Amino acid sequence: MAGQIKRLIDSMIEQRAQGNKVLEGVVKMKLILKGIDPKSYTDASPDDPVVMDKLINLMKELK
Amino acid sequence: MNVKTTFSVKINVEDAVADIREQLSQSEPALVIFFASPAYQPERIAAAMAEAFPAAVTFGCTTAGEIVTGRMLTHSVVAMAFGSEAVKSVKVEVLQDLDNPSYDAFASFERHFGASMADMDPARYVGILLADGLSRKEELIVDRIGDLTNVNFIGGSAGDDLRFSATHVYANGKCHTHAAVVALLEPAVPFSFLKTQSFIPLPQKLTVTRANEAEREVLEFNHKPAASAYAEALGVPVEEAAAHFLTNPVGLLFEGEPYVRSPQRIKDGSMVFYCAIKEGMELSLLQSTDIIADTRRALDAARTKSGEISAIINFNCILRTLELRQNGLTEQYGNIFAGVPTIGFSTYGEQYIGHLNQTATMLLLH
Repeated sequence: MAGQIKRLIDSMIEQRAQGNKVLEGVVKMKLILKGIDPKSYTDASPDDPVVMDKLINLMKELK
Repeated sequence: MNVKTTFSVKINVEDAVADIREQLSQSEPALVIFFASPAYQPERIAAAMAEAFPAAVTFGCTTAGEIVTGRMLTHSVVAMAFGSEAVKSVKVEVLQDLDNPSYDAFASFERHFGASMADMDPARYVGILLADGLSRKEELIVDRIGDLTNVNFIGGSAGDDLRFSATHVYANGKCHTHAAVVALLEPAVPFSFLKTQSFIPLPQKLTVTRANEAEREVLEFNHKPAASAYAEALGVPVEEAAAHFLTNPVGLLFEGEPYVRSPQRIKDGSMVFYCAIKEGMELSLLQSTDIIADTRRALDAARTKSGEISAIINFNCILRTLELRQNGLTEQYGNIFAGVPTIGFSTYGEQYIGHLNQTATMLLLH
């Protein structure tokens, strides 16, 4: 499998920003400051389990 | 009342607080935010401000210089008083022991406002964060808060007039160290945020290939000792690199805008920064520009976008203040804020989305 990180990032941005463009930028910047740059991940990026766990845990925080 | 600002340069705590109270004698504020020189004994000024405004929530911190409407000051206390026409509701809490802080403050906010932090509307609520400026924990706090809520927290790290011995934060009459004050406000007026820094990105890139994040230390850029790679990017001998720190920090670029990370010193070939930097981050070398012109332009843009500004809380990096002082520009900087009720202070770090350096972050009420 590949591309799961990009899908998680897209899902997280959608969940947290709910279409608000300003919030989308804030969420992306928060991720960059955590060392996860959304633009670095594509549909072909390997599924790094460490990054995936981090994203899954972050998504749980606001549920 | 809406928002009023005042300041005092009286030397002792009791006189300064009485002066502030006298200047606000026609007001019964719901909230008073104050920033005080460390020359005022911290425990006494925290208690005195709470006693002077018994009906108000009071919070603030120590500084490395103060800002009030139209002026930059030193050895003063500045205060902003908010009536209920400006702030509907406010709750202030303290994060104690920043080595292992509890975020129970958020449960308190939820009880006070009757809403979950996760669900709070960031267009309705705003957070203010004032952290111990010597704790070196700000990025962890901002990161954690950012995980828990979409509400934006803006603020600064307390200073101590460049003594680097102890900084303090104040909440409701108490003084705290190695702690952070977090306040959640529901303003009665529209608000926005301003982040401004006076740098342009240069083409030179420095990728962090080895770092000790906890110590805010970058060991290697581009697989080379950090100081050597930084000097090489500047085109100067490594011995001259430190002389460029103020004018050539580095920045994390997002949508063309730098989030500044400022070098503090060179340590055995590595570089220690004023904020943590993670391995893998690609940073751009920055070149300083004109603080006065850039700040004025940023405020004009905020007015154009969000309407006239009725009050400003300005968290202005001490490194910016030092540059302004060196260049004799503090009066000009103060003048930028003339005519708009303003308070602020020279910080040991700025908060907005993340922990920043050489930046001014501002809460603007419209």
